[in-house]
Amino acid sequence: MNRVVNVARMQLINKWTYLGIPAIIMASAFLITYAIWAIVPSGGEIIYSGAAQSVMWYFLALGIMSMTLTFPFSQAMSVSRRTFYLGTVGLFAVVALAISVLYYILGLIEKATHGWGLNGQLYALGWLAGEPALVQIYFYFIAMVALFMIGFWFATVYKRWRATGMLVVWIAVAVVLLGLVALTTWQGWWPEVGAWFVAQTPLNVSAWASLFCAVLACGSYLTLRRATP
Amino acid sequence: MTGTATSEVISVRNVSKKYKDSLALDSVDLTLEGGKIYGLLGRNGAGKTTLMSVLTAQNFQTSGEVRVFGQRPYENDGVLSRICFIRESQKYPDDFTAAQAFQAASMFFGGWDQPFADRLVEEFQLPAKRRIKKLSRGQLSAVGVIIGLASRAEITFFDEPYLGLDAVARQIFYDRLVQDFTEHPRTIVLSSHLIDEVANLLEHVILIDKGRVLVDEDAESIRGSAVTGVGPAALVDEFTAGRAVLHREAFASLASVTIEARLSEQERAEAGELGLELAPVTLQQLIVRKTMAATGAELAVVERENDPELEATK
Repeated sequence: MNRVVNVARMQLINKWTYLGIPAIIMASAFLITYAIWAIVPSGGEIIYSGAAQSVMWYFLALGIMSMTLTFPFSQAMSVSRRTFYLGTVGLFAVVALAISVLYYILGLIEKATHGWGLNGQLYALGWLAGEPALVQIYFYFIAMVALFMIGFWFATVYKRWRATGMLVVWIAVAVVLLGLVALTTWQGWWPEVGAWFVAQTPLNVSAWASLFCAVLACGSYLTLRRATP
Repeated sequence: MTGTATSEVISVRNVSKKYKDSLALDSVDLTLEGGKIYGLLGRNGAGKTTLMSVLTAQNFQTSGEVRVFGQRPYENDGVLSRICFIRESQKYPDDFTAAQAFQAASMFFGGWDQPFADRLVEEFQLPAKRRIKKLSRGQLSAVGVIIGLASRAEITFFDEPYLGLDAVARQIFYDRLVQDFTEHPRTIVLSSHLIDEVANLLEHVILIDKGRVLVDEDAESIRGSAVTGVGPAALVDEFTAGRAVLHREAFASLASVTIEARLSEQERAEAGELGLELAPVTLQQLIVRKTMAATGAELAVVERENDPELEATK
């Protein structure tokens, strides 16, 4: 257990990677969006911005980096693959949870200040803001975990099977997606699919995403078990 | 150098490692005792790094058994925490400085000695506050060497640790290694192809070539296991007739022949009477000759095997 915590501590030695850069991304995303709102008059309507997502995409890159650079280093530190996995995913989960809570709080402030005084919508997304606090936090959290796990899993596949693995995975993903689209089209299921998507609530989406994360988490661990630095 | 040899710390039984088109390790059997400095010698691509990777569970054998401290090292934090293996091409987290890498090492190696690491940083003149990815090849090697030494792990592997290090830095490494080993006995496995430089450090030599163990012997006994005789060709050949010849060189009427033999006093006297000069063989020469002899033998086998086919096609 101690070594698992040390894996997390090791990744925090360089404060920038997990703390500094996310903080800068979040601050600059807010300030730039705010500046745009201030410059472009909204005419009283609610103006939406997706800038809050930006930090989530950084976590996709972080997932890739922990695998390609931190994993080989952890091997040199005589850390087992299991310990590395638990420490890395654990640290990430804590950071993701902290940001999720922060987003929820920022959402509350946003509503209280009528969109930062400019009628903007950055954190309290209309679709989500009406939900209970826990659902909102859960939604942000699982979205970030999903992106991290996608990056982490792809990098694990690369580490284990190199370029060949990447090629196979990308082709497989493309074939599966294409197959689903083709199936839906031939069967004339698009209206139902559309209706299904519209009917999804944040809680529903989060639940599906959790399932997706669980599959990726297991897949990453099993792939990592035989990966070489 | 004499360490206090303890019981077996590593045991390798019939271990093979197959890559797609090559056999990196071929039925390797080894037993390493604790408290010694081992030299893992061999040419580039002989399988040295693969062997060390398999021993530290950084890579996996295709078949066979590996035991470190009596247990399988794979996913075994108890065993892994007692060993240290910095690869020759070790990767570090992006943006890490050397000082940060040492900080990480201090978390994972129970025996980490920070003052010792600090002294080594000074001696190697390593810019510890600079990002690792901006270091030169020699400085990068120094980072690995410092982690290896200061971690004081019970088994420490050094994988060609001198790459890019200048002669002074290499000497510092050898000196500190011997000094620290004397004060804190442990098992050191040093992979190298600068054999002459490390020859005096080694207590035991393991030579591998094409994934096979050619030599697994005490360094002292290897040094005495061959001798070179120099003199008139006819006399040298007379003296070496019937012995295992590792190498023969002729210059005009003179010949220099290296044979694998421990000469008795009587044989030495005999050589003296013939007017031959006997010269000791350095570890490096011996390793080179043995490796080449193994390759030569293989070539001869291939030729013989091909012969009937040649006959048939004619």
